[in-house]
Amino acid sequence: MALPSAHIDEIASSGRGHGWRPAPISAETAVILGLSVLVTVLVILPLIAVAIGAATEAGGLSARSFLAVLSATRIIGNTVLVGTGTTMVAVAVGGLLALALARINTPGRALLSQLVTIPLYITPLLTAIAWSWLGSPRGGLINLLCRQALGIDSLVNLQSAGGIVFVAALAYVPLPFLLIGAALRGMDPALEESARIHGASTAAALRLVTLPLVLPAILGSALLVFVQAMGLFSVPAVLGMPSGFYVAGTEIYRLLNNFPPRVSQAAAWGLLLLAATAALIWAQSTFLGRRSYVTVTGKAFRPRTLEIGGFRHVLALIAWLYVAAAVVLPVATLIWAALVNFITIDVKLMAFDLRHFRYVLFEYPKTYLAMENSLILGAAAATCACAIGLGVSWVIVRTRSRARTYLDQVSMFPLAMPSMVLALGLLWVYVRAPMLPIYGTIWILLLAYVTHYLPFGVRAGSGALRQLHRELEDAARMTGASWTKTIRWITVPLTRPTLVAAWTLLFILSMQEISSSILLYTSRTTVLSVAVFDLWEAGNVNALAALSVIQLAITFVALAVFVRARHREVLA
Amino acid sequence: MSGDFLTVERLAVNYGPIAAVDGVDLAVRQGEHVTLLGPSGCGKTTTLRAIAGLETPSAGRIVVEGAAVFDAAKGLSTPPEKRGFSMVFQSYAIWPHMTVAENVGFGFRVRGIARETARPAVERALSLVDLSAYADRSASQLSGGQQQRVALARAIAYDTKVVLLDEPLSNLDAQLRIAMRGELGELRRRLGFTAIYVTHDQEEAFALSDRIIVMRAGRIEQRGTPVDLHRAPRTRFVASFLGMTNILDAEIRPLGGANDMAEARLSAGLVLRARDPHANGAAAGAGAIGFRPIDVRLEAGTAEPGQGSAGVVTRSLFLGDVAQYYIRSGPIEICAHDRPRADLAEGTPVSWRVDAENCLVLRD
Repeated sequence: MALPSAHIDEIASSGRGHGWRPAPISAETAVILGLSVLVTVLVILPLIAVAIGAATEAGGLSARSFLAVLSATRIIGNTVLVGTGTTMVAVAVGGLLALALARINTPGRALLSQLVTIPLYITPLLTAIAWSWLGSPRGGLINLLCRQALGIDSLVNLQSAGGIVFVAALAYVPLPFLLIGAALRGMDPALEESARIHGASTAAALRLVTLPLVLPAILGSALLVFVQAMGLFSVPAVLGMPSGFYVAGTEIYRLLNNFPPRVSQAAAWGLLLLAATAALIWAQSTFLGRRSYVTVTGKAFRPRTLEIGGFRHVLALIAWLYVAAAVVLPVATLIWAALVNFITIDVKLMAFDLRHFRYVLFEYPKTYLAMENSLILGAAAATCACAIGLGVSWVIVRTRSRARTYLDQVSMFPLAMPSMVLALGLLWVYVRAPMLPIYGTIWILLLAYVTHYLPFGVRAGSGALRQLHRELEDAARMTGASWTKTIRWITVPLTRPTLVAAWTLLFILSMQEISSSILLYTSRTTVLSVAVFDLWEAGNVNALAALSVIQLAITFVALAVFVRARHREVLA
Repeated sequence: MSGDFLTVERLAVNYGPIAAVDGVDLAVRQGEHVTLLGPSGCGKTTTLRAIAGLETPSAGRIVVEGAAVFDAAKGLSTPPEKRGFSMVFQSYAIWPHMTVAENVGFGFRVRGIARETARPAVERALSLVDLSAYADRSASQLSGGQQQRVALARAIAYDTKVVLLDEPLSNLDAQLRIAMRGELGELRRRLGFTAIYVTHDQEEAFALSDRIIVMRAGRIEQRGTPVDLHRAPRTRFVASFLGMTNILDAEIRPLGGANDMAEARLSAGLVLRARDPHANGAAAGAGAIGFRPIDVRLEAGTAEPGQGSAGVVTRSLFLGDVAQYYIRSGPIEICAHDRPRADLAEGTPVSWRVDAENCLVLRD
């Protein structure tokens, strides 16, 4: 039982008298350092850039952009209207669905729980386009049908603030549904039962016990939706811009597409959005204060189902209406528009063939380029976000490094950064960084995606690591494995199911990203969503529908492959 | 450094402002089984993990066979995989994505040793823990006791200097724990490896150890062989942790002489003779004495003068093989164990005494 001789030499030489010598940097320390630098570059750099960009004009300090932005009260009002409206509707519907499907004997709740999450995988751009065909004031299919059948003019007008809120809320309902649903499921049913035993009615137990306990989840999901809705681009671009209704997101797009582009003013809008979300996050954490509810744990309880009477059918109807409005109608409309020769409501004139698919696949020059870019970007962004996420969460969960708190907080910043603002920051940095010639390449899009989705990677990683007993890793070190081998042979294989799930979600989300892509793409680096948007701007309705259907197909193939893979994982 | 195999000097581990380990010194000889014993939060596991290299201490030195593996002053910290130890964890830490043989052979795999070359060692380790038949099972299909054996086999498969054991039996049920305790002791006698063992269970510590180190709040409270510790706990803390239920405040007066006897006045008219092995010439004064319930001798009826102290049974609890009697004598109450006896019903007057040999003067 002797020490390996090389080891003894190493120890002996370190003791010999050439004075103090820094400890050799271990793989672990190197990774912690590297991650801290990386996260700073990804997250902090664009933030600073937006601030600098907003405060300078033509090289000098100037408050002109701020003043211009602050005097555009109409757009500020529109943005706040869309932001708060979308948040309230989405959280109300999502929360109601979560309660109905997690805790109430709603008929068909197992199937409905799956169906109401599908909108996560459909980009709001497509939902908005489909609904603009259904509900625009003059050419909208619903209005045309009504006029024909009932003689009523303009039944609905979705090209309005209300329409934007309606469609955006449809898209964001799954977020509160999932978060509030998880909180409801994670709550020990004994808490409610003891309220009942001590004399509370069902309604009183819900109001006095359940609601306060899931309040953090409600506020958290509201904040998440609000950040997304304030920086929303695609929905107001489709439903607002044609009628001159602008919000911050579309205004930034307009300012940058002006000639000359008004970068400073766009950055000032970005800074305003950031300030608004930062203020809200601060308000939320102050309001919730130190109320940490350990009763809502990660533990899976078997939730007690509330048995209610006829109203459960109403709840089921609401859920089905949501699925119809957010999934069935838009997808059916897109498929119909992709197959029909031209858009008409006259059944006699409708003819169906694959000519639009033929056009999109074989004639439209951007399709292949966009598809290739989207697939590469989707795979690369998902891989990077998962890898960095796992690394960051390892530092957060497993070490007592000083970098821990920093990484924990900074890696969550992108949740509060509308992706347009992030893109603005990246633009500002890399347009004037000739030593890093990534502007105009696919790399700047990758940076935007990885940063935007980093919080998801970190959340997934820390969820998986917290379930992985640290002694499993310690045991590998004690059996002779280096840090690197431990991560490769123990940590990664054992967290793989979670990482695969996160990867798939991020791949799908990246495939649909438009808010930052629309600011960062060039003709060589166009992506699918941008190509769809181009066709929409050009008014090429049927080709757009065909391309959308292809984009949706890729998404659902990815989802199916993932679901199968996961089934195999469970069965094995 | 008199032949000590592993020494720990002035070790300190801080978690933020909290000192989890605060100046621990200890030495382990080759082939010895040393146990760190103490209640949860006393720093025993942290000390073990610091020796392993899994925690980074803020001060101190750890030396193995004359070479430092950790030295805070020099900024030296050998990573855990290069210290040449192995470890058995409280949670067993069996990797669920590997077979039993892969778990046990992991030490060879990470060192680039071919599976074929490693096979005899893996098979030997598995046969030592009676798991040869399970080599190709997936580790996740094993029971708790079997997982514990795999963890043990993994720790001894690759030639290791020291096996560190962190409460290895605490997750097993009572019967299995006693059986595994026996097997563990037997295995160490056969292989002769050096062991550092952490537990909060005094019985486990007594049964397995050559030496025991009792820890409290990050410091070492007392050390010695199991027999020494059991016979002569030095402080109130060690005494109560080792099952001396009766710890009473007393006025201590040394009697002098070679055998360190003292007189302990518990209250007016209640005086016991006690042993004071850790006296070191201490002066008379306020102190405490301790004795075990099993060492209290009870007689029914009123005490004869000089034949013990008078008391009344206030409560009796039937525990099966023994009964627990609570006796009140004036302002004090003591606990006694005896065979269940019909003549000691609650309210009965009794006389009780403790041999001076079994009654100890305790420090704070």
